[in-house]
This record gives sequence, structure tokens and C-alpha cells, in this order.
Amino acid sequence: MMPLLTVENLATHFHTRAGIVRAVDGVSYTLEKGQTLGIVGESGSGKSVSCYSLLGLIPMPPGRIESGSAHFDGGDLLNISKDELRKIPGQRISMIFQDPMTALNPYMTIGAQLMEPLLLHKGLSKEEAAKRSIEMLEAVGIQDAEQRMNAHPHQFSGGMRQRVVIAMALITEPDILIADEPTTALDVTVQAQILELIKSLQEKNGMAVILITHDLGVIAGTCDSVAVMYAGRLVEQASASSLFHSPRHPYTHALMKSLPSMNTDGKELYSIPGMPPDLTKPIEGCAFAARCEHAIEACRGDIHLHSIMPDHATACIRAQKGEL
Amino acid sequence: MKKIVLKRLLESIPVLWAIVTITFFLIRLAPGGPFDREKELDPQIQERIEAHYNLNAPLMEQYTDYMGGLLSGDFGPSFKNASSSVNELIAQSFPVSLELGFYALCVALLIGLTAGIIAALKPNSWQDYTPMTLAMIGICVPNFVLGPILLLIFGINLGWFPVSGWEEAADKVLPSITLGAMYAAYIARLSRGGMLEVLSNDFIRTARAKGLSETRVILKHALRGGVTPVIAFLGPATAGLLSGSFVVETVFQIPGLGKLFVESAFNRDYTMILGTVILYATLILILNLISDLLLTWIDPRLRNA
Amino acid sequence: MPNTSQSTYEVEQGQSLWKDAFRRLKKNKLALFGACFLIFLTGISLITPLIAPYEYDAPDYALGAAGPSAEHWFGTDLIGRDLFTRILYGGRISLMVGFVATAVSLLVGVLYGATAGFLGGRIDSVMMRIVDIMYALPFTIFVIILMVFFGRNIILLFLAIGAVEWLTMARIVRSQILSLKEKEFVEAAISMGLSRFQILTRHLIPNTLGPIIVYTTLTIPNVMLLEAFLSFLGLGVQPPMSSWGLLIHDGADSMLESPWLLIYPSIALSLTLFSLNFLGDGLRDALDPRVAKD
Repeated sequence: MMPLLTVENLATHFHTRAGIVRAVDGVSYTLEKGQTLGIVGESGSGKSVSCYSLLGLIPMPPGRIESGSAHFDGGDLLNISKDELRKIPGQRISMIFQDPMTALNPYMTIGAQLMEPLLLHKGLSKEEAAKRSIEMLEAVGIQDAEQRMNAHPHQFSGGMRQRVVIAMALITEPDILIADEPTTALDVTVQAQILELIKSLQEKNGMAVILITHDLGVIAGTCDSVAVMYAGRLVEQASASSLFHSPRHPYTHALMKSLPSMNTDGKELYSIPGMPPDLTKPIEGCAFAARCEHAIEACRGDIHLHSIMPDHATACIRAQKGEL
Repeated sequence: MKKIVLKRLLESIPVLWAIVTITFFLIRLAPGGPFDREKELDPQIQERIEAHYNLNAPLMEQYTDYMGGLLSGDFGPSFKNASSSVNELIAQSFPVSLELGFYALCVALLIGLTAGIIAALKPNSWQDYTPMTLAMIGICVPNFVLGPILLLIFGINLGWFPVSGWEEAADKVLPSITLGAMYAAYIARLSRGGMLEVLSNDFIRTARAKGLSETRVILKHALRGGVTPVIAFLGPATAGLLSGSFVVETVFQIPGLGKLFVESAFNRDYTMILGTVILYATLILILNLISDLLLTWIDPRLRNA
Repeated sequence: MPNTSQSTYEVEQGQSLWKDAFRRLKKNKLALFGACFLIFLTGISLITPLIAPYEYDAPDYALGAAGPSAEHWFGTDLIGRDLFTRILYGGRISLMVGFVATAVSLLVGVLYGATAGFLGGRIDSVMMRIVDIMYALPFTIFVIILMVFFGRNIILLFLAIGAVEWLTMARIVRSQILSLKEKEFVEAAISMGLSRFQILTRHLIPNTLGPIIVYTTLTIPNVMLLEAFLSFLGLGVQPPMSSWGLLIHDGADSMLESPWLLIYPSIALSLTLFSLNFLGDGLRDALDPRVAKD
């Protein structure tokens, strides 16, 4: 079966006064229908930029997509005209942004913002769009949805705004949902409710999800496969169960060790020594080598992501050789 | 909303009263009067004239008389134009100034907003530098320089537009541009700044992620926030538009209120000065109120405050 | 001693802020041009009597209004006075009005704004309400009335213009003081036992300096514009003294026969306004950390 989305060798650089920031530097992955892919990494690892690139949301200049392709439904998202691209975001691929406090337009009513993609992309009438929007608001757990349609974002709490943002992303029943830290502002019960809603849409429509997070804990319960990013590159890619049972990259390992839930014996929380590398300088070999306790001379040479077993690839050459 | 308007209107009554009172005593206490001439008048005639206008009465009595007249909407007789009342003079000249101000505002908004928005869409490119340099020129070439120069070039040398008067449409082109130019410049700078600020917001990224066309992102999502600094500026700026009209009406020989005010100030025409001051102050208060109301209409976050 | 270290930190940050700002300003060609032109102009104004080729009020009736020539670079006016000389002397007056009236507005604005911001509470809200109301007054009209009725002398001109321009300064200073009051280094100063007055003069006013410098630079052109406007209406500087506004007024009267009388003073005024505005914009970009971040 053809994958829904195939990203190959994506590289997005920012040309700033301080130099070229290689925010995303050669990332490839595939996404199947109905599947959930988690992209994990620290802030600045390029996980958000790699997704913004697909939707044409990179400000250019200073940003520039240097190479790569993203095949979706017979076309290449990175190589189509602006008009063609416009038919995809918001309709077939939609996005939930991180910060609910700033993601909604303060000058427009909640209703107008929700109805906008329906009116524009789906050609619904105003009444149909309103009806659909109210249903969607109810589905994400907003009470008195009908009255709330006329409210403005500042009248909503952070959690409610986040639910509106989620409703807005799901309302067109997209093929792919890209969720950037979607549930951070929500309490646990609402979080579960939202994840349930996403899951039901996945089952009903075969919607695929890309979940961007810095928190491996969130990935564990929700994702089918995981891609770990570090300094703009993929360092490990595997099915969720394989990754959690046997992480095959020192960075993934370190990330897991720093999870609070992995830390059951009450010792001080683990933190990775050193700093992420400066992305304005080209990195020779493994980007993590400078902070890695297992680094050897060969880590400074050529490295590539290689499969070491079915459903599991790592960029660590020592793991590839079976040394780790 | 009604409450706010009512509160503001009530608040402006003492302000207006203070303005009238201060102006009244200021001009009365100042040396010189409307009937002082360089050549001494016959003291008897002078006295008779002053008695006619009740200028010999105690100042407080004159003040209460004047305020009484004001309450019934009577600005009193003009001291210099013996045949007409201040009300009549204002009724003749104010519409002219209002018309001039309106055209100037249209020029300012049309040019200013267009330039500012274009500049904001392509920051640090020639589409930004060109309008912004022009805006700087607009700010640095005052209307009393621009007016005569436009007159010299387009009125006299090229002969495209009439040199003075206020009757045909062609009469109105040069004065409106002269008066509007500086405001166009300010509006261009403010709307550029406002648009840049709004466009850097996350909700613009959300709008783009919805797959909206760039035009729709700008017109529907960014413009409202982007023009708020312009609207906040427009209320107080009308005061400047009025004083600008003093110059423009003088340069282009337009029979408006600005010219009339400057003349009456020079002539110490007490009632005429007071009448114009009251009118201008009221106008400024109202325009400020309108601009504040527009701001709350545009930005829902201000409504609950 | 966390408090002490906090205040040292602020001082260091302050110094590098100024250094950074200066470095950014040097990159801005237009602002640099403005600064140079203004320094040049101020220098010229100081020594005008020494370098002016003619007396500013010496007529040459035989010559009358003559166009630019080798003897009279910018031509002569209707009664044969040298325009170049008159522009030099006029610039002296215009610049002086610009600087002095701005100083008046600066003094009033800073004192008023700092008092309101520092006292806070009810007093603050009343003081700022007064400013709000004064914003809505037809000030130009008052200035015109003042100038007509109380003689057209230059001291009154300073006071009248200064009185119009202090409002915005008061607002800027107040909001700066309010935001700085929240910062820790003020607490540190309080804990070190400094009096309110000392805090105001040693900590708050030096730290609000950036925006004040910027706004002052942008006030000077406004003031010069207002002076020129009043002179244009015949209410500012009185003949035989001259200012650029007055020269433009005379030039506009005779622009048909002798356009140079309008053009040269206009260029002088606009060029100066340009310089001040470019410098002000440059300073703002240099001192505003939000713009400066990239």
C-alpha cells in the first residue's frame, strides 16, 4: 500500500545575520493512513519546523527549503504552486499549534474562526457551517456551544481556547492532523477526552496524526511509530513498542532516563550533560557525539540512519555495529 | 456602550466650560481691544461703540451675559463684521472647512493605508523603503512649504489647477493634497508598524495553516488589528488637521473657518474667537469619542474594560 | 546577598545596552547623516556672526530681489538683503527655539510623568486624567491667541510651545517609571535604605533615559515645525529678526517673481527636519530591544 505521506530528505535552513541555521537537515519519514507518528525532541531540535515546512508556513525569507520532497496524494507539497498548496492545509492537512493563548484571532468571534475553513474549502452554507461548528465545539467538551459561537477568544480560559483550536483543526475532517504539543494546557480528564476524540476520527476516517512533543511519556500511550530528532536530524526511528523496549540511540536513552516516571527510586532527575550544538556551524558526523558518553573517534565520520531490525532504525554507528 | 458614550459626553461639559471660561478671561485681560486703532478714535465715539457691545459693563456681568447667550445657542454679534452675527459667519465658513478636512482625510487614508500596508507586506524591500522614504518626506515638508510649492508648479507653471477659490472640483485638488499629505505620511508609518506587529502574531500563522489566501489573511485577519494605531491617532490628529487648515486656507484663499479664525484673532474679535474656540473644542471632543468608540468596536478585548 | 548582585547585574546590562545601541546606530547610515548634519548646523549657528558674508538686516535697495549669483549664493530678498545670511541667522533662531522649547517640555514632562508614576494610586490617575483631557484641547488655537494677545516675544513662544509638547513626554516617562518600579533593583535600593527621592534620581530617571532621549529627538522637529507654523502666520519671530518659518512666509508671498526666496529656506527647514527625524528613528531602533533582537 502507498503511504499517505512520504517525506524524503527534507532540509529547511534559515539564513540569518548570525549565519545559516540548519534547523532541519535531511529528514525522511513515512506516514500511513490511520497511523500516529510521534516526533520527539528538545526545543530547537527542528521538530516543529519540519512540519511547518510541509504546510508552507516557514517565513521566507529568512527560511528556505533547501532540498527534499513530501509526497501526498500524488503531488509534492514542497514543489507545487502556492495556489495548489493552498487547497491542502486547513482542509486535508490541518494543524494544532502549541500556544492556545495566541493561536486564535482576538478580533474575530470563535464562530467566525471555526466556520471559516468550512465556508471556504467545503463550500458549506452559513447555516450548515454554524451547525457543524456547534457540533464540533460540543465534541471537544465546550458547554453552551451555541452561545459561545459569538464569544471572542479573550472571554475563554486557556484550556477552552485550546479546545477551540483543536475543534478548528478537526472540523474539516482532514487526512492528516499535525499536533504540536496539543494537550499541554489541558487538565488530565480533558486531555483524555481530546485524545479519545482524535482516536475516534482516526478509526472513522482513517485520519493520520503527526504528534510533535518533547515528552516521551505522551508518545508512549498514543503513537504507533516514533521519530527522535536531534539538532535537525533524525537519530532514531522505530515502532513505539520497539523504541520503548530497546532504545538504540544514546540520545533516546538519555531522554528516557530524564523522564520523571522512569525515575522511581527517588534519585535526582537525570539531565543530559552539555548543550545542544550550535546549528549555525556545520556538524561533522554524529551531532550528539559531543555529549555522548559512548562516543568514539568513528562517530566524527560519516553517519546514516540504518535499519538494524524490522521497524527500527538508528543513526548511532556503535548501535549499528551491535556494540551498544 | 450607551453608558460609556453618556459618561464621556457628561465629562466633556466641564471641559468645555473650562475652555470657554479660560479663553474668555484670557482675551479680556490681555492688553488691547477690538476697537483700538492705530489712529486714536474720538473718545466719545469709542465709548459709544463699546457701550453698544456692552464692553463697559463689569467683566463678570459680561461673562454671565455671554454664558447666558451660549446656553440658548447664541454666540453673540461679531465685533468686526458689524452686520453679521458669529452664528452666521460660522454657518458660512464652517461647511467649507469641513469639506476641506474631509477631502484631506480621504487623501490621507487612501494614500497612507495603501502605502503602509504594502510596506508591511514586504518589509526591508524596495516596496518598503520607497513608501517609507516618501512618508518621511511628507513629514518633513510642512504644509506651508508644500502648499506654495504645489501652487507654483501645478497652479502657475503647468496651469493644471486653479490658484485659489473654492467652487469647482478642480479648486479642491491642491488644497486637499496639501492638507492631507502629512497625515498620509503619519498614517503610512503607523499602519506599517501596526501591520508588522499583527503579522508577527501566532494567530496569523493559524490563519495561514487554515489554507486561506494571502489576501484573505491580510484583509480578514490582520487588517483590524493593524489599523488600530491609525484610529487611535486619528482622533487627536483631527486637532492638527484643523490647525493645518489655517495655513492651507490662507495659502489657497479659501473662505473657511481657519482663515476666519486667524483673522479674528488678529482683529481681537472677542466673540468670533470664542465662537471658533468652542466649535473646535467640541469637534475635537466628539472626534476623540468617535475614535475611542471605533477602537472598542474593532478590538473586542477593550469592551469589557 | 542576592540583592546586591541583582543591582550589579542591572548596571552591567545597562552599560552593554548603551554600547550595543551605539554600535547599531553607527550602522544606520541615514541616522548618522542626520547626526553629522545637525552637529554641522549647530556649529555653524554658534559662529554665524563670524562667517556670515553680510549683515542680516543690511538692505541694498539698488539691487532689490536678485537671483543666486557669485556674490549672493542664494540670491537676495525684495529689499536686497542677502538670503544666505538671512538663512544662517534664521537657522540660529529656529534651532534655538527648537532646543529651548524642547527643553521646557522635557523638564515639565519628566517631572510631571515621574511624579505621577512614582506616587501611583489616586494621585497618578488624577494626574493622568488631566493629561488625557489636555490632549483633547485645541492647543494650536490657544497658542495663536496667546501670541496675538500677549505680544509676540520669544520667551512667550518658548513657553507656549513647551506647554503644548510636554504631554506625550509625561505619558512616556510615567509608563517607564511604572514598569521599572516593578523590577527587583528598585526593591534592592529600598532594602539598602535609599529614600524615595534618591531612588527617583539615582535609579529610575537614569533607567528611563532611552525612551526619553528618543522622544526628545523627535520633539525637536515638532517644535521647530510649530515655530515655523506660527512665524508663517506672522505670530512667531518678528522682523527684522528672521526664522525659517518667517523666510518661507515671505518667500511664499513673492514666489512668482523670485521663487528662490521660497525654495532655499524651505530646503533648509526640511533638511533639518529630515536629519532630526532620521536621527530620532535611528535612536529608537538602536535603543528599543524589541527591534534590536535580530
